[in-house]
Amino acid sequence: MDCLFLKLKRFFFPLHATMQREWMRGLPLIFILVAPLLLSSIISAEEYTLDASEIEKKPYHLGGYAELRPVMFGLDKDAALYKLKFYNRREGNNIYEYNGALQLEGSLEYGISRLYVRTNTAYRKSYLGEDQQTIIQEGYLSLKPSSSLKIDAGKKTLNWGKGYAWNPVAFLDRPKDPDDPELSREGYIVLSADYIKSFQGPLKTFSFTSVLLPVYEHVNNTFGTIDRMNFAGKLYFLLYDTDIDLILFTGGSKTTRYGMDFSRNITTNLEIHGEFAWINNFTKNTIDSAGNMFQRTYDAKSYLLGIRYLTEKDATYIIEYYRNDTGFAASEMRDFFSFINTGYNSFLSSGQTAPLNKAASLTDGNYGKPTPMKDYLYLRISQKEPFDIVYFTAAITSIANMIDRSFSLSPELLYTGYTNLELRLKAIFLAGKRNSDFGEKQNNYRVELRARYYY
Amino acid sequence: MLKIIVVILTFIIALPAYAIDGTALLKQVDRNLSPESYESYRKLINIEPDGRKKEFTLFTVKKGVDKVASLFLAPASEKGRSTLRLGDNMWLYIPNVGKPIRITSLQSVVGGVFNNADILSLDYAAEYSVEKVEEQGNDYILSAKAKTKTVAYDRLKIWIDKSKKLPTKIECLTEASMLIKTLYFKDIKDFGDGIVRPSIIETDSPLYKGYKSVMIFAKIKKKEYKDEVFTLTFMPNMESMR
Repeated sequence: MDCLFLKLKRFFFPLHATMQREWMRGLPLIFILVAPLLLSSIISAEEYTLDASEIEKKPYHLGGYAELRPVMFGLDKDAALYKLKFYNRREGNNIYEYNGALQLEGSLEYGISRLYVRTNTAYRKSYLGEDQQTIIQEGYLSLKPSSSLKIDAGKKTLNWGKGYAWNPVAFLDRPKDPDDPELSREGYIVLSADYIKSFQGPLKTFSFTSVLLPVYEHVNNTFGTIDRMNFAGKLYFLLYDTDIDLILFTGGSKTTRYGMDFSRNITTNLEIHGEFAWINNFTKNTIDSAGNMFQRTYDAKSYLLGIRYLTEKDATYIIEYYRNDTGFAASEMRDFFSFINTGYNSFLSSGQTAPLNKAASLTDGNYGKPTPMKDYLYLRISQKEPFDIVYFTAAITSIANMIDRSFSLSPELLYTGYTNLELRLKAIFLAGKRNSDFGEKQNNYRVELRARYYY
Repeated sequence: MLKIIVVILTFIIALPAYAIDGTALLKQVDRNLSPESYESYRKLINIEPDGRKKEFTLFTVKKGVDKVASLFLAPASEKGRSTLRLGDNMWLYIPNVGKPIRITSLQSVVGGVFNNADILSLDYAAEYSVEKVEEQGNDYILSAKAKTKTVAYDRLKIWIDKSKKLPTKIECLTEASMLIKTLYFKDIKDFGDGIVRPSIIETDSPLYKGYKSVMIFAKIKKKEYKDEVFTLTFMPNMESMR
């Protein structure tokens, strides 16, 4: 316990004595900067006011957030994915990472047109050194000739699907991280049009979204096969108080796929949702324990079923079952881990890295995905204001692999008591036997603190 | 003959007291509070027992009896979020998440004592049937029952100013008449175009002892919107309605 305490102390207070003294000198300045923020929220005004300046519409908007996120990883030195990544390094039992991010978003409106841009600059200092990357997550021009029609051109996320942790029907989106599904993601360059029509009666709303997604050498080249123009369409119905989407993707960069999703409130505190995706001729690349590569093509049928339930005590339960037919079977994962172990032993005995390099090439976006297998259960329980501590939310999330019984468990605390400041402390513990999904990931646990200030 | 005249006169005098049509009165209260279709600007303030506050500014549009949509203008952490209500259906759109998710009436997108049903409130007459009307001094007291199980509160007890036909206090109750929260309507203000109504709604709740939430109306204006504005697909574009 002491050991963990010392690790956490070193993690959150990594400065040596001289630097700590510098910190102490800086404290009055920090106090001067932070005090008005605290006081403004403590002082209670007797009169309630809403000034015209607060609601005045401007043709432009600038905003975003700045974020600091130190992370401590507890490594699992016997895990296959640890060996794959750290086979030629000695990093001790823990590694530390210091992340900073600056998200900027701005928009400009003129008549029926609106220009929107969101960029993200991420800085990371880790055992690998420092790196920094700026990407345009979204940047598009919207034209809205009427309230029924909107045309967007540029880089955009579409965020299709109703699931919280996974979206098998999100054919045009980069995959979510189920450990943090609400993170903003990078989009693709598209031309899209939305047409909306409302009705009286059981069918209240109908909308049609059509999307053109070009994939060429310098445009969306990570999406799939290049030199193809792809098309996707989505029909949305609000029918008998149920959201229903019917989705199609075709074009050649990926195989043709069909999707359907729904969502409905059953009572004032219970919502159900689901998704179903049919992927024609899905090709799965696998490797056996000897390093032989295989390809199998089949029609993949994935689905997700979920509920969101609010208790009288203001606890929200999100439960989702995900059947991922594009994922790996237990035997396929075992073969992959076995190949890594063989490659690692080969490296130790002869210094050969070829097998490990081969395994690494199959890891990103494939075996190394956060949830690469077929059957998962997601459970998140979040309690608002536990023990009557306002603006606190305590949550616990678990992702369980239903096939090999391995799982992750992540408790978190979120505090939003200060306007525009969000503090989140989160840990993720992984558990599972050898050759299991979560048992072979590189970490045993991870602890992170995220401070995000919106402006 | 005299007896007959006395009886008839008694009936004529007594008649107004029994002739109060509770449903018509509730509908009139709804119309006095806001036009059927309008836009408004509001601020919600959550106040903790130690006086600390958290404020949210919202732009809201409403059409007919069952369509309401709101856009968060402040604080920066919430800016761009929008909520939509179509009858019993409610959604929240968070720009980062990027798609509308269904929410329930008992949740609160702002925390504090106001829940989603309070923030995206429809006409009272659309959700409640009047069971009883009583008179108490300058007020009518209306007892109303939810028309369906999907309405946030099973029962309401509404104090209505007789002369202004505006609510002064509403108690929100469970089926067993347990008090969930009380809404206090204060500071009557002329918003123009014939809209004269309370500009402040305060609420407290025995479930949140010491906490208080306040809703301040800055602007209410009659305005007609197309139905398409009240759709999931339109939620990311709410800003264009301002």
